[in-house]
Amino acid sequence: MSTAGAPVVAPPARPRSSRRRKREGRKADRRLGYALVAPVVVVLLAITGYPLVYNLWNSFHFVNLSYGNLPRRFVGGANYTSMFGSSAWVAALERTLAFTGISVVFDMIVALGLALMLHRKFKGRGVLRASILIPWAVPTVVSAMLWKTMFDPRAGFVDYFLGAIHHPWASLTWVNANVFRSWVVIFIADAWKNVPFVAIILLAGLQVIPTEVYEAARIDGATAWQSFRRMTLPLLKPAIMVALIFRTLQAFLVFDVIYIMTGGGPGTSTETLAFLNYQTFINNTDFGVGGAMSMMLCVMALVVAAVYVRVLRPSA
Amino acid sequence: MSAIGACSLAAVGLAACSGGSSSPHSVSAKKSQTITFAESGLGTEGAQTQKAIDGFMRANPKIHVKIQVLSPDSTTYLAQLEHAFIAGDSTPDVFESDVTYPAKFAQAGWVRSLNSFHPDTSKFFKTEMAAGTYNGTTYAIPWFDNPEGLFYRTDLIKTPPTSPAQVVADAKAAMKKDHQLKEGIAFEAAKYEGAITAFLTVDSAFGGKLNPNHINTPGNRAALTWLYDAIYKEHIAPTAVTGWQEGQVESEFISGYTPFAIDYPFVEALATKPPVKGHVGYIPFPAGPGGTPGAALGGEMLAINAKTTHAAAAWKLIQYLTSPSVETARAEATGDPPSLPSAYTPALFAKAPYFKQVKVLNGYAAPRPVSPNYLQISSDLQDMFSSVYANSTSPAAALKAADPIVKGAATAKAGG
Repeated sequence: MSTAGAPVVAPPARPRSSRRRKREGRKADRRLGYALVAPVVVVLLAITGYPLVYNLWNSFHFVNLSYGNLPRRFVGGANYTSMFGSSAWVAALERTLAFTGISVVFDMIVALGLALMLHRKFKGRGVLRASILIPWAVPTVVSAMLWKTMFDPRAGFVDYFLGAIHHPWASLTWVNANVFRSWVVIFIADAWKNVPFVAIILLAGLQVIPTEVYEAARIDGATAWQSFRRMTLPLLKPAIMVALIFRTLQAFLVFDVIYIMTGGGPGTSTETLAFLNYQTFINNTDFGVGGAMSMMLCVMALVVAAVYVRVLRPSA
Repeated sequence: MSAIGACSLAAVGLAACSGGSSSPHSVSAKKSQTITFAESGLGTEGAQTQKAIDGFMRANPKIHVKIQVLSPDSTTYLAQLEHAFIAGDSTPDVFESDVTYPAKFAQAGWVRSLNSFHPDTSKFFKTEMAAGTYNGTTYAIPWFDNPEGLFYRTDLIKTPPTSPAQVVADAKAAMKKDHQLKEGIAFEAAKYEGAITAFLTVDSAFGGKLNPNHINTPGNRAALTWLYDAIYKEHIAPTAVTGWQEGQVESEFISGYTPFAIDYPFVEALATKPPVKGHVGYIPFPAGPGGTPGAALGGEMLAINAKTTHAAAAWKLIQYLTSPSVETARAEATGDPPSLPSAYTPALFAKAPYFKQVKVLNGYAAPRPVSPNYLQISSDLQDMFSSVYANSTSPAAALKAADPIVKGAATAKAGG
């Protein structure tokens, strides 16, 4: 049907008041949005932003509550110089890095195996999936006490079983009698707690990989190993990144399991950065140097997260 | 602990730094008022405290006392107190304090000087009284005095040992004689405060003294070597001691696993089952050549918050709780040894004869260093003991290495 000759009817002009109403409506929506998130923002600023900034400020001042009568005073970078020059801090840094490296690699490998196993179909899978979260749900202080008791040469069962294998092992003292054994106990308690958490993250990643990908690979003649290496791992990258960030930061800031199990001993051989930081704050009530230590922990944690995000981000 | 957590702690802390130490107003003890008393006692101790407070309120009807029960764990207890002080809180008005805290609290300006009340300090055991005194000012009054000493099984050790060497010999002989025994001696060697008091119990027997300005002395070396040898040379103590606190030591003793144990008087009241029941001796650690019998000072004190406006009422409460009859009643009910020699009455001895020995031990009790930096000193000492007990270093090498560190902690000055 031709429209030639038909009078051109201009679309009705949108009333000015309608546009204004819409604009005002959008403004009102925005205002509502701000109002709804405001409490969260305020709370986050209060419990995270403010302490962080205040701590940064502390780290450049003399603030030692043991000298409550003395004024706070600006000391520049002296607290940082004192921290970097402290052999205890350097040694704690080395231990922390070693602990983080070993525990993250171990936990990721074991958790990946666990996740792959839980991804398969078998009877009782649901129960097993739920039950592996139990260690993660137990507070670290409680699990550390449990492990400490289990490794106790008198009250625990570990030595009992070891003694059945080799008699001299029946009365091994694990905690604070030997540096290596003290670390072994810490690693075990820490892994027991954290492997399930990593496994669940990886399992969630595995579940979103489409099965068609594996079918196509199988049709193309890929072996199970090739399928895992060329399909599973690349597609699991986002989940691996999340797990790595969480796990690395947890390991880097390890405190409670060490506090409960060894108290940093034997000597200072299991003291980590967070433990030293705690001692500086609580024992010495030195909020200046303690603040500098906290800021360094924050910076290092951010650097670790940034490196992971950069290295493991999905390619465009 | 997260770094942010640490930051939060810092933020909480800073609220404190601005306040002075004197209370702005003070309410007369004659006016009606409520004061808060912070203490850590649970169970029978808590019940006895309540009983004593009830007695106080009957005697002082205008003063109402609210009991604030804090954690029984000493580290948490200290943190709870510190948080209140850091926040500039005027409560608790009066509080229980470990013997190692007053100097730190005094330097921080968190406790009130008691000199204006003219306390009669001569009536208390002088070592514990000294723990409440800093720079010549009295800040805390002894509440009960808990000396750590040597427990032994009287059925296995017929005559109490008279030298450290005899302790070793008796322990070995007892281990041969009684195969239920798992070791010859139990002591606290875990990395915690108790490792220091266990060491102090032995220390003066070798002529040692825990002077933080100079810990590498022949006496200290001999004492630490004796404890080290007990584990690694004489094999009368198991390596498991490296994880033992006073609770585990008590358990070993009352279970009949050890003929000797270094521990606090409370063990006596718990030895209620065979084979230990009725066979408990409690003595100062026997002196070696050049030494004196050894015991370590433990105990609790009472102090007043610098910010309280009820100092007079708080002082009245302290006077009441540290009166002889109240202390004796507490000792009978809870086993907490009185801080007043005059509270060790014949009636108390009749009810619990071991208090005779407790009184003797109180006469020998060696104090831990009275220093505002004690927590740092303690931390450094714990590191040292822990290394030695783990056989990571020899006693002599450990003391030599720790000497400047501990001295540094003791002499650390503000911003220095």
